[in-house]
Amino acid sequence: MFDAAKFAESKVSELSALQGEGVIAVSGGVDSTVAALLVLRAVGPRLHCVFVDTGLLRKGEAGQAMENFAALGLSVKKVDASQRFFSALEGVGDPEAKRKIIGEAFIRVFEEEAKASGAQWLAQGTIAPDWLESGSGSRDNIKSHHNVGGLPEKFGLRLVEPLRDLYKDEVRLVGKALGLHEKFYNRQPFPGPGLAVRVLGEVTMEKVALAREACAIVEEELESAASRGECAKPWQYYAALLPVRSVGVQGDKRAYGWTVVVRAVDSGDALTATCSEIPHAVLKRISTRICNELKQSVNRVVFDLTDKPPGTIEWE
Amino acid sequence: MKIPVVQNGSQWEHRIWRVLRDLGAESRLVPNATPFSELADSDGIVLSGGALRIGEGAPAGNCAEYLDRLECPILGICAGQQFIAAHYGGLVKPAKVPEFGRVDLIVREPDGLFDGLPERFTVWASHNDEVVEAKGFRLLASSKDCEWHAFRHERLPRYGTLFHPEVQHTEHGEKIYGNFVKLCKQ
Repeated sequence: MFDAAKFAESKVSELSALQGEGVIAVSGGVDSTVAALLVLRAVGPRLHCVFVDTGLLRKGEAGQAMENFAALGLSVKKVDASQRFFSALEGVGDPEAKRKIIGEAFIRVFEEEAKASGAQWLAQGTIAPDWLESGSGSRDNIKSHHNVGGLPEKFGLRLVEPLRDLYKDEVRLVGKALGLHEKFYNRQPFPGPGLAVRVLGEVTMEKVALAREACAIVEEELESAASRGECAKPWQYYAALLPVRSVGVQGDKRAYGWTVVVRAVDSGDALTATCSEIPHAVLKRISTRICNELKQSVNRVVFDLTDKPPGTIEWE
Repeated sequence: MKIPVVQNGSQWEHRIWRVLRDLGAESRLVPNATPFSELADSDGIVLSGGALRIGEGAPAGNCAEYLDRLECPILGICAGQQFIAAHYGGLVKPAKVPEFGRVDLIVREPDGLFDGLPERFTVWASHNDEVVEAKGFRLLASSKDCEWHAFRHERLPRYGTLFHPEVQHTEHGEKIYGNFVKLCKQ
């Protein structure tokens, strides 16, 4: 079986061979935080942590991430790049094009940060499904993960990926072995391209704001339902804004608004997943809140029943 | 116990590596273009699946040479299973009912791979094609919509499953690989 403590120890000793200064991309998630802690143990202050606020994050996420970093003793520089991401995504509807643009925008930020700190290498929290699904050789591209398939062909830094052969369940065990809090190492995954893949089609600030509110409602309602024992907390759960409008009625007036899909899945390693069983009462609360709180724009909520395969966990 | 995993392009080939590693086997991922000589000392090999269409004659690198020249057990998964069937004169066609995700498996013969497993359990599949004829093979397991879900050769140490025992949602998957490792030890 996988021995997390032994893995951490051997990775730290392997990473100790790294020369010079380096930058690590931290998102506040489990993978990149665990990677940062391992690299930090190996190279100490030669590591520079960079957190990018893409403007595509969830409600309150940037602030929460910075608080978590501080609590873990990671000194992290926050870079606000939201304007850059939104401009690059303007007018782009194709999901692969979106992922590639986001991957490149991230790398350009890291290159600038590396230049500023004289770094020669870039560490990332890449895990196995990221490169497995990005395709290579005989393996088909399912989606370009921003940190692998979204990387531009040319960039001037050496990549360091200490978790490359691990899956999410193993990274969590490493997090636990490093002394992270259970709430943190078991937090749900969030995709690197953020809410850009939860707004289907073209990304605008307005649409991202809708997806952000809808995601917050799904998270609040499912977490509180789980804490009351109404259902188990799913492995990953969110809302996405679909480019589909339908007719509704609000206060005796015709409405013609957007559709939100609610998705909740159970998985261990993200390579296969089943649709979570959520009681109708919980789903109805989510639906009512989304339609009421986003009534200017959304008048219909649907629940996704697809397993992976044939679906993927995110919609893009 | 050396059991390399030959990559035919499956999203789950790395999972096969992980399960074998967890079982204590010495495994590594190798492209299907790897020369036969580099695999000659294997105790067993696994041919992964992939998007390649065996029914249309996709060559799958050097897999034919591995089947012709290796005496150790070989397990084919999904397209790997289809390749084995076709290699020994069988027939692979687009599936009448392609299966993606959950499949109820019915074990026909609890032989080798299915030793010690229940008669029915849930497995995960993801296939467009299926084996419709397998010359010289015994049927080990089926689903409602697909007959040749698992087989073994009557004389040679050649095994195959259309479903994916390496993914977490397949019940008893690790046990199936454990049984394969046992076959490799014999």
